[in-house]
Amino acid sequence: MSYLSLEKLNIAYGRAAAVHDLDLVVGRGELVSLLGPSGCGKTTTMRAIAGLLKTTSGRIVLDGDDITTRPAHQRRLGLVFQSYALFPHLSAFENVAFGLRLQKVAAAELQQRVDAALASVGLSGFAERLPARLSGGQQQRVALARAIVLKPRLLLLDEPLSNLDAKLRVEMRAELRRIQRELGITMLYVTHDQDEALSLSDRIVILRDGRIEQDATPEQLYHHPATAFVASFMGYDNLFDNLAWRPGQVAVRAAGEPGEAGTVKARSYLGERVEYLVDTARGAVKGVGAGHFNEGDRVSVLLDPALAARIGVSR
Amino acid sequence: MRARVPWWLLLPALLLVGAFFVLPVLALLAGAFKVDGVLGLGHFTAFFNEPLHAQVYWRTLRIAGLATLVSAVVCYPAAMAMVKVPPPWRGLLTALVILPLMVSPIARTYAWIVLLGRNGFANTLLVGSGVISEPTTLLFTEGAVFLGLLQLMMPLMMLSLVSALENLPADVLAAAQTLGANRWQTFTRVVLPLTQEGLIVGGTLVFTGCVTAYITPALLGGPKVLLLETLLYQKVNVAGDIPAASVIAVLLLVTTIAVNQALKRVAR
Amino acid sequence: MNNGISRSALCMLVLALVFLLGPFVVIFVAGFSADETLAFPPKSYGLRWVVYLFTVEAFQRSFVTSLLVGAGSTVAALAFGVPVAYALSRFDFAGKDAIKSVLTLPLIVPGIIVGLALLDLMVLAYALPVTWGLLIGHTTLLVPYTVRVVSASLANLRSDIDDAAVTLGATRLQAFFKVVLPNIRGGVAAAAVLAFITSFNQVPVSLFLTGPGVSTLPIEMMAYMETSYDPSIAALSTLLVLFTIVLVAFTEKLLGISKYV
Repeated sequence: MSYLSLEKLNIAYGRAAAVHDLDLVVGRGELVSLLGPSGCGKTTTMRAIAGLLKTTSGRIVLDGDDITTRPAHQRRLGLVFQSYALFPHLSAFENVAFGLRLQKVAAAELQQRVDAALASVGLSGFAERLPARLSGGQQQRVALARAIVLKPRLLLLDEPLSNLDAKLRVEMRAELRRIQRELGITMLYVTHDQDEALSLSDRIVILRDGRIEQDATPEQLYHHPATAFVASFMGYDNLFDNLAWRPGQVAVRAAGEPGEAGTVKARSYLGERVEYLVDTARGAVKGVGAGHFNEGDRVSVLLDPALAARIGVSR
Repeated sequence: MRARVPWWLLLPALLLVGAFFVLPVLALLAGAFKVDGVLGLGHFTAFFNEPLHAQVYWRTLRIAGLATLVSAVVCYPAAMAMVKVPPPWRGLLTALVILPLMVSPIARTYAWIVLLGRNGFANTLLVGSGVISEPTTLLFTEGAVFLGLLQLMMPLMMLSLVSALENLPADVLAAAQTLGANRWQTFTRVVLPLTQEGLIVGGTLVFTGCVTAYITPALLGGPKVLLLETLLYQKVNVAGDIPAASVIAVLLLVTTIAVNQALKRVAR
Repeated sequence: MNNGISRSALCMLVLALVFLLGPFVVIFVAGFSADETLAFPPKSYGLRWVVYLFTVEAFQRSFVTSLLVGAGSTVAALAFGVPVAYALSRFDFAGKDAIKSVLTLPLIVPGIIVGLALLDLMVLAYALPVTWGLLIGHTTLLVPYTVRVVSASLANLRSDIDDAAVTLGATRLQAFFKVVLPNIRGGVAAAAVLAFITSFNQVPVSLFLTGPGVSTLPIEMMAYMETSYDPSIAALSTLLVLFTIVLVAFTEKLLGISKYV
């Protein structure tokens, strides 16, 4: 039984249609990511689910409740914004308490719930701080606490980690996953970062120009991209005849070795490996190899069909 | 940044303003405190002994206060709508709000004379629809002065609020909605606290603008409905009572400074 | 963002705009009335009163006076104000705040007080000719505007370009005229337009400083309104509004001043 169901959702943005006939189902307790490049419609979809944008046609059903036309403040969802959107005039405690105060929750219960929420995101000592005195990571956690303290039916997260530095992002990813598992909250997560999506999600939905390109588990998506777009998005830089290779699956070796002949056009030192962009008769190929080739060298690249992913084949 | 004081750049303007503003105004204000060459408050007591004067003072404050209140109530939702209007319409709207400020107050006030005069629009409507049998006096009433001042000062409140609303952090309104706040709650718990500085700036501009207005009370209030500035003018040109005029000048200044400071305190 | 504007907010916006701009419509309609006396809606239309305006000597004369005083005091206010704005933005010295406050005072003190004070000084004490009194009075009132607007545009102009010019051989004065001024043209134009309009529309101070034979247009209009109830003032107001719109639109098109207001 689906917990969240988007049925033939159409959303217009200005004069263009931003989302076309979107069908999506999320199960209870699942964490589903909406992944795609900017402008693909992921944030638009999220805001429509939250009620901040109007849909043109289609339905949004949450736990059997048709909320398509319900005003935003009555939908009982949580939304963590990319910009955190903390209220600058309220302390961390008051930010988290905001929704509870609107519900006229009794003082003792409110205190207890807010303290618990702050503790669950590791900010117990920060209750009296104003947002201006909190770091980016801390603000993000307050924003999260503020949403989950209300026990929302669905938690929407709009690129919540994109403003954090790389190390913090990885830490927060794990935190989010832990909280989600502990509380069993159903989450819809928007991101443009495929690593984030892969590590967090039960399922990933790739969007392009307002339509779904593929809806699958991370493993399926990673190993069996359904379209060339998905393959390219998931890091398969080499696409030829329905086969897709990652740079790591393409060996660049000295000229004369088995493979196609080519000339090195560019060389990237990436620490763990050296990536080469090689011009071949078939086109540009990205592969990896030993570090000693330079630009202009003649080399051979091996595109082994046995290693390739087959686009559009799911097994 | 250089540290020498460039006196030759500053002196001309300072001398001009000093000689033709600061000194004359101080002299005028001082005149209010000199009774027959001796320092005293005699002029003030004489002024307030006249009940009409206190009435005028109170009337001025009342109309200014009401205009400030009404402009805030009207402009808040209007400004909230305006900040959501996309360009290029937004630029046009801003121009339309600023334009009245550039037009002569005489022209702007005159429209009310056209509307409220004996043969004006309002009377024509009222008589025509049978509400009253003959044209009534709508001009030269407090209501007329109030409407004129409100219309004159409203762009100031509008621009102030628009500026404050534009500085709201992104998504804060949307966040309030997702946390369950309806429009009114979003307004009182989020918008108002975060834009109160703009409200205070706008309020100060409107209030002091009304208290220190001359043209509108002169044209719409006439000699029967006097406000502080028209009273001052009357004291000078009709009664030749310069000390009384100086007293009014002091009152005007003290009131505007007091309101300015009071509202600044509230902001904190 | 198709984040809906609430219907009630939109209503208020429309209401506010109607309230603010409705009077202009009224003036326009009344200005083209051909009735004997002021009635709204007019029973007949025509250019009769517009034509009449050009026959009233007081209006002609005072219009010219207003233009001359406006232009003269604007130029003077710029001459006094631009150096001050430059000094405030490029130099750091004690007393800057005090100077800024003093120069802002004319904006805060009610015009009628200033008018009366200047009447005492210039007319009663020194018997200055009226035109001079008007010019000096207006200039003094306009200096805060020119300082403020030009300061804003100077703030956007980095101070190291003056220094760069000096290292290339220019004197400070040359640097100002060749490098700074061209870059603050928009701000100066905006200040000029604002100052001119302020002077042209100025009433409280002019009220006390005008005398027999020399008057500004707004003062003449108010005097006329005390005795006559014909639509000529409506026609004149219409012309004034058009004049303002054209002036502002023209300068905006030419120099893009709207960002400085």
